[in-house]
Amino acid sequence: MNWKNRDTVTVYSFGGVVAVLVGVVFWNYAQPEWKGYQEEFRELVTRKFGPARARQAPSGIQQIWVKELNRVDRCTTCHLGGDWKGLENAPEPYRSHPKEILDKHPVAKYGCTLCHGGQGYATDTDAAHSVGNTNWGEPLLGGELGKANLISNREALIQVNCNICHRNDRETKGADYINYAKRLVDQKGCYACHTIGKRGGAVGPNLTYIGDLAPEQFDYSRMSGKPSVFGWHVAHFKDPKQAVRETVMPNFGFGSKEAQALAMLVMSWKRTNLPMAYMPGVHIPEAQRTAEEMAKDQQMLTGEGAFFVKKTCFICHDVSSFGIESATKIGPDLAMAYSDVQSRFGRTLEDFLKGPTGTMAVVLSTQIHLTEAERDEAIAKLKVAYQRKTEQDAKNKIAKK
Amino acid sequence: MAAQNKIWRQLTWTWKPASERDAGDAVVRNLLLHWFPAKVTIGSLSFRYSFWLGTISAVLFGILCITGVPLMFLYVPSVERAYQSVKDIEFVVSFGWFIRALHRLSAHLMVAVVFLHMVRVFFTGAYKNGTAANQARPVNWVIGVAMMLATFFLSFTGYLLPWDQLAYWAVTVGTNIASAAPLVGDKIRFLLLGGNQIEQNTLLRFYVLHCFFLPAFVLFLFLWHMWRVRKDGGLASVDKLSLEQKRQTLPPVKSKTYSLLGITKGRTVHVETALVNEDEHTVNSSPFLTRRILMVTLATVAVICLLALLVATPLEEAANPRVTPNPAKAPWYFLWLQELVTDTTVKLGDFTINGALIGGILVPGLLIALLAVWPWLDKSPVQAVGVWFAAQRRRQNLVFLGILVVVLALTVVGTFLRGPYWLFFWPWEAWPEMPGPF
Repeated sequence: MNWKNRDTVTVYSFGGVVAVLVGVVFWNYAQPEWKGYQEEFRELVTRKFGPARARQAPSGIQQIWVKELNRVDRCTTCHLGGDWKGLENAPEPYRSHPKEILDKHPVAKYGCTLCHGGQGYATDTDAAHSVGNTNWGEPLLGGELGKANLISNREALIQVNCNICHRNDRETKGADYINYAKRLVDQKGCYACHTIGKRGGAVGPNLTYIGDLAPEQFDYSRMSGKPSVFGWHVAHFKDPKQAVRETVMPNFGFGSKEAQALAMLVMSWKRTNLPMAYMPGVHIPEAQRTAEEMAKDQQMLTGEGAFFVKKTCFICHDVSSFGIESATKIGPDLAMAYSDVQSRFGRTLEDFLKGPTGTMAVVLSTQIHLTEAERDEAIAKLKVAYQRKTEQDAKNKIAKK
Repeated sequence: MAAQNKIWRQLTWTWKPASERDAGDAVVRNLLLHWFPAKVTIGSLSFRYSFWLGTISAVLFGILCITGVPLMFLYVPSVERAYQSVKDIEFVVSFGWFIRALHRLSAHLMVAVVFLHMVRVFFTGAYKNGTAANQARPVNWVIGVAMMLATFFLSFTGYLLPWDQLAYWAVTVGTNIASAAPLVGDKIRFLLLGGNQIEQNTLLRFYVLHCFFLPAFVLFLFLWHMWRVRKDGGLASVDKLSLEQKRQTLPPVKSKTYSLLGITKGRTVHVETALVNEDEHTVNSSPFLTRRILMVTLATVAVICLLALLVATPLEEAANPRVTPNPAKAPWYFLWLQELVTDTTVKLGDFTINGALIGGILVPGLLIALLAVWPWLDKSPVQAVGVWFAAQRRRQNLVFLGILVVVLALTVVGTFLRGPYWLFFWPWEAWPEMPGPF
């Protein structure tokens, strides 16, 4: 065959190749993944409710466009059972959505991904769920991710997104991990060192929008396993010094559940540009206080130990002999400080307060500023507190006998 | 009807001419083909001589223009909507992913092919004038260099448009390198970005450049380039052929000058076919040249379609100026510069000499300047025209090859062997796992 004829054959061959490739493209176009799901859904509905209902099932790409949120969610292309009655126990993606949540969060107003995470634009499963996909920062907060993060309630991670809007709620119905974490924040006195919102200390970093930190902004060098923000927070809550060597944050001895709940909570502390209408207020009224509690408050504010309340020492420390009770008990009882300092640091109280070390060095340089007169006052008061404490202990011993 | 027939005949041509005249008419009387010669030398059609790289570049440019039009209808050049509109192209526009993949792959391939075309022309000494009258191949070489730079810039401006992390940070790296130019660096960056940071102004600027000014510029240069190829008597291999014939001292061959339009000063505008034996060495352009062009077009389309089916088109997270991906890389064809910037950054104690000036401005600037003036510095004899690795041009070819190897090596290092923190990783070494939210 000479080159002239060979050319003709080659042209036809390449033409054929192009035709085949274009054919493949059309073939793929004709059968996207979601079509399979829609057919299966119609079969399911036919079996359960008959062919007439099956004809009502949608076909083609479905989307929920919430203009106010600038979100497009195409999840309902495959998750077809959303508002169908009688599919509560159907397999995914056909199961109907729990009704009570949808009543408060209508799909037309909220879409799907605002709560569930995932990529609303996508029309195939892998891209939509984006679990382990580095090109989409909001993975589906579902069972797969919960399992990978060893959370006993696998579905709990979605609560992170609940709390982006509900962060000012004392308690959010259904968000048990978040509610637990919020109680821990109060009990452990996180505000003593951290500013969260409008109040709190300055010893530790401001946590108001800590959830906005990007994964790249954490140091994973002292962590084992897959590096992730959630993993970092869990490890840090379990043992702060292990994650950040120079931290002064005390080890609260949190277990997995506590650490996971707190990690979810802090990850939900994000800036949000949601319209105001989407943000719930604080609905639970201030708890009624008993006369006893109010008397106790009064005594703390005006009694002998008022100095320690005024200078905010009481956030971390009891001064038991003056009736000062810390909500958090992060530090030791100051009633014993006079002897305690001696035995712990081998220094006198006077000396220690002039040149504190460890956590107190940080607290006294950032949070609590004592003038010389105030320092003397503190030392004098702590001496009295110690005296009072030994007397009380002696009395108690006698009383016991 | 007669007028319609005439128009029809000016737009179509016969693939099977019945006579020489038919074959000539198919080209000369045709609107689309009139810029081709009626006859071409068989050597010009050879794949081994030119690899048809220029034609492939033109085909890729064609694919880019055709796929670019639907993309222009679908894409929104706004910071708020750009990323979203690309997501929609990927997921819900019919064949959107395919069109985007064709566009992206053609763009990458065009950069590579245009570069290889330049390499081919250098190694064959095809920028040199041969024996025919009125040749100005060096001018065409400079037009080519300008087109290559325009191609880089076209690709670079297109890189920003998806407004994802890849786009944002590649352009950050690229424009930061530009700002290292002495005196005017910051001004250039300001002009490019339409401000001090990559924002809406930058996006709009890049979009308009990408969709109108640069393609128009390339199209204009392309027409000039092709016109010059005709004026210069076709490919340089023709000059070689005519030289060989002269040596053979054959009986005189027919020579022709075609009068082209006749509207410029001088006797006529000459389109010289070099003095070659037409009967022995040439064939009719229709169908032999047109068929090969069709073949190369189909092959290029086939390769691009196949790649589109096999290679995923990346779209990273939406652009986020607060989070730098690690590593942040310029587009691959600028990575040799980024690598060079790293390698020329010298630390002497606390004192750092930033390599951006040397690696980012001086070296590439010098290379481009050298490329542009090289045809006038190359004093090799006419026998070296249109010959691969001519003995008379051995030294310059070796130097060129050396530079080429260094550029390619730096590109490979920058593209494949640089990981997080721009650290060096061998291909068998795993990169550290990058963190995610969960």
